[in-house]
Amino acid sequence: MKRSLRTIAAFGVAAALVAGASGCAANKQITIAFVMGAESDPFFQAMKVGAQAEAKAEGVKLIWQGDASHYDVATEVPIVDNVIAQKPDGLVLIPTDPDGLQASSDKAVAAGIAVANVDTHVTDLSKVVTFITGDNTDGGAKAAKAIADKIGYTAGKTYEVVVGLTSATATTNVARLEGFKAAVAASYPGIVIKDVAYSASNPQTASSNVNNWLTKYPNLSGIFAIDGTNASGAAAALQAKGLTGKIALVGYDAYPANVDLIKAGVFTALIAQDPAAEARLAIKTLVDYIKNKKSPAQRDVVIPNVTLDAMTSASDLAKYTYVATK
Amino acid sequence: MAGEVIYEVKNVSKRYGSVVALDGASLKLHAGEVLGLVGDNGAGKSTLVKVLSGAHDADGGELFLDGKEVRWHDPRQALDAGIETLYQESGLAPHLTVSQNVFLGREKFVKGLLGKLGFLARKQMEEEAHHDLEAVGIAVPASNRSVSQLSGGQRQAVAIGRAVSWAKKVIILDEPTNHLGARQAGEVLQIVKAAKAKGLGVIFISHTLPHVLEVTDRVVVLRLGKIVKDAPTHLFDGDTLVAMITGTITELPSEKKSQ
Amino acid sequence: MTDSKQTLSVMDRARSLVGNQTSLLILVMIVLSIVFTAFSNGTFLSTGVFANILTDWGGYILLAVGQTLVVISGGIDLSVGSTVSLSSVVAGFVMVKVLGLTAELKGVDAWGVLFLAALISIATGLVVGAINAVLINVLKIVPFIATLSTFGAAAGLAIIISGGMPMQGPSDFSLINPVRIPGIDPLVFDTGLFSPMVLIMIIVTIVVGLFLHKARFGLYTYAIGSNAFAARAAGINVKKHTAKIYLVSGALSGLAGFYAYVRLGSGSPSSGTGMELYAIAATVIGGASLMGGIGRMWGTALGTLILFTVQSGLLMTGVATDWKQIIVAILIAAAVAVQTLQKKNGAR
Ligand SMILES: Nc1ncnc2c1ncn2[C@@H]1O[C@H](COP(=O)(O)OP(=O)(O)OP(=O)(O)O)[C@@H](O)[C@H]1O
Ligand SMILES: [Mg+2]
Repeated sequence: MKRSLRTIAAFGVAAALVAGASGCAANKQITIAFVMGAESDPFFQAMKVGAQAEAKAEGVKLIWQGDASHYDVATEVPIVDNVIAQKPDGLVLIPTDPDGLQASSDKAVAAGIAVANVDTHVTDLSKVVTFITGDNTDGGAKAAKAIADKIGYTAGKTYEVVVGLTSATATTNVARLEGFKAAVAASYPGIVIKDVAYSASNPQTASSNVNNWLTKYPNLSGIFAIDGTNASGAAAALQAKGLTGKIALVGYDAYPANVDLIKAGVFTALIAQDPAAEARLAIKTLVDYIKNKKSPAQRDVVIPNVTLDAMTSASDLAKYTYVATK
Repeated sequence: MAGEVIYEVKNVSKRYGSVVALDGASLKLHAGEVLGLVGDNGAGKSTLVKVLSGAHDADGGELFLDGKEVRWHDPRQALDAGIETLYQESGLAPHLTVSQNVFLGREKFVKGLLGKLGFLARKQMEEEAHHDLEAVGIAVPASNRSVSQLSGGQRQAVAIGRAVSWAKKVIILDEPTNHLGARQAGEVLQIVKAAKAKGLGVIFISHTLPHVLEVTDRVVVLRLGKIVKDAPTHLFDGDTLVAMITGTITELPSEKKSQ
Repeated sequence: MTDSKQTLSVMDRARSLVGNQTSLLILVMIVLSIVFTAFSNGTFLSTGVFANILTDWGGYILLAVGQTLVVISGGIDLSVGSTVSLSSVVAGFVMVKVLGLTAELKGVDAWGVLFLAALISIATGLVVGAINAVLINVLKIVPFIATLSTFGAAAGLAIIISGGMPMQGPSDFSLINPVRIPGIDPLVFDTGLFSPMVLIMIIVTIVVGLFLHKARFGLYTYAIGSNAFAARAAGINVKKHTAKIYLVSGALSGLAGFYAYVRLGSGSPSSGTGMELYAIAATVIGGASLMGGIGRMWGTALGTLILFTVQSGLLMTGVATDWKQIIVAILIAAAVAVQTLQKKNGAR
């Protein structure tokens, strides 16, 4: 029931978005469909800003779709199928699951649609024109460094750290955790990752997880909140417990609310991606490919993540803070 | 014996999609009278009952209560006007207790502010429900038992008891002896007679024709949504009633003679 | 024949236990607590964990309470989770964008505006409830589809209003922190179980519970779910009462949205994501029947408590939280099985 329920909801949202997008149609125009994870996630909102700007600059029609709030393969598959039926020239796909979206991606390619992956990718990238992502592995490593700096890491001592995730399979989550673990193993062997837990896209759940950890690990040194949802929840939990600044909290994604909390000392650091830049590059590459039938020199492009902390200049903070669509 | 006309139906029609359930039916019910309503399965008896009780809006026709035209949009209006109905299909809520069913729609509240907020006087209603059902003359189960735990006959008894104890003008009983054993059916007939003695108008529907002949003053025969006969009970016997219902005769022998 | 007598009394005892949903749920709670305590080296059995379970309980209970009313009346309300998102976002929007307030406003100073936020949240929930009522009563759409539409619409609106991002505004985190009894050293014995917000949720639950079990409002709710025709025939305005039920469910979801706002210090468009399913699960585990006519507020309160005992317990024992969904599924199946058993027993 859960699955079909989400599917129906996804169709409703999809239909509404199609209706909205069709207003700017013109003859023989290139159409690029953009299917992302969850409309409610500011990360994708920021991506939408970039996608809209680039679509306008290139003079292409943009079909922007995705589930309203569930980052879930069950809702995404029917949305992609629906988009393929509209026969766009190109498809920018953010697969919520590498295997789950493989068939849909292949189907699009078979229908003559040029496919790009952004942020996350399908398992088999061979038919994908380009894969553009923030360097999530490096972002995870940056998070480890930020925590180590904050707790004044000293070799020989042990430190307890936990990681709040949204799901066990989202490739960004997986890559960030891998990068985090690798950096810890290489440079900060005294940091022990005690636990991970999942928020299922709900910041209240993320907050609850942190609360339980605070009881379970009275000597907790740091928390890595692996995405915006977990960052919001963890920040609230620490503020409520009066632990602001006492436990190193490194979050991900530059929600304006969370950027403000760097100044307040709640976040030790935020690792920020540049989703707008990823979206712009994806659309530009696809349009090039469709017009000139030429693959990009390099299929996989990595856009580095940045660390935002108390030392970051105001202009950089402003530059990387996610902006909502108008 | 029978008094004034209290409830009158003029030319009522009702269709369900393409099915014509009632086709220009008219009848008069007097105070202190028991009117038998008979007809084959699907003749339209229950449909007429629902129009009379306000459960259904008729497509056409008029209703008069005490000579004044009335229109029901909701059973509440008919209830408030003193018309009680026992429906053929269960009119009880199985998950509620006996007393909750008896008082449903007419609850008693505790005194004071809580009462104004709708808090119920449960004990009082349980006692009164028991008392009322007893007064009607039915062996009643405990007031706080859930209706779903009662036998079919016990449920029927509760439903009849509720209708009779609340009725002020008219009681409509759609197959009240359903589910009942011979003794309990006899009790129901006594209840009908008692209601008549109190001056109420009673509409009595049954397929058990001896009951109809025993308890009613007048018989109305419905066939395919039309009223085909309306005559005093004493003009019928078992055979003529069956023949009239099935349509093998259209006139009573007595009527022929009198012509 | 002492033997058969013996068996009978054991059977009877088992039956009366099953027949009493509340004691069964309490038993489940106790068993879960023992298991989690054993597998967490005792860390589960602490005030901090129970306080957190109660904090989670507070976030979900009003959705479950509203759902209980709806389910008893024979309906379903899928819109409650989205209503939490929407009402928390609207509260944030009014405070931040309309009144121009910021997160600088903290603590007791924020109480006045937070009270306003609570009213705004409830009003937002009422609007969603009113739309549900119109879809169901006037357009005659079945509740499942009607509330599925508002589920999608409210989620979408929450994103549009917030721009997809949490709106941080005035806050007082002490409202969501457990209050300790003064004079008792928390290091010796931690008395901090209930936060002010949780206490408010408990009070609201009790009040709605009283209306469900002691007042006409509840009687009509059961009557409609039990036999809608009988309810109408008894003179109940079924449409009006159904509308009231969805309005109450909407208002309670709105208040839960305010709870989410206070808990996060911001109005987040994903604060209600997925909550509807847990609200329905809690209601069913608590013994309500999706066929209508059956359900108890006590059961729902305990069902919700069990859900979050499982959530916290799994985290404390270090079992992957993926297990949560599986355990919840088992609990739902068990609850339905118990219901079927009770029906059989009742028929005897
Ligand atoms: N809700 C309904 N929808 C559609 N058709 C109906 C409905 N209720 C009754 N009918 C039809 O209307 C006609 C009259 O039905 P009604 O129930 O009034 O008969 P009845 O005389 O009470 O029969 P019985 O003796 O079997 O109770 C029948 O043809 C029946 O199929
Ligand atoms: Mg009938």
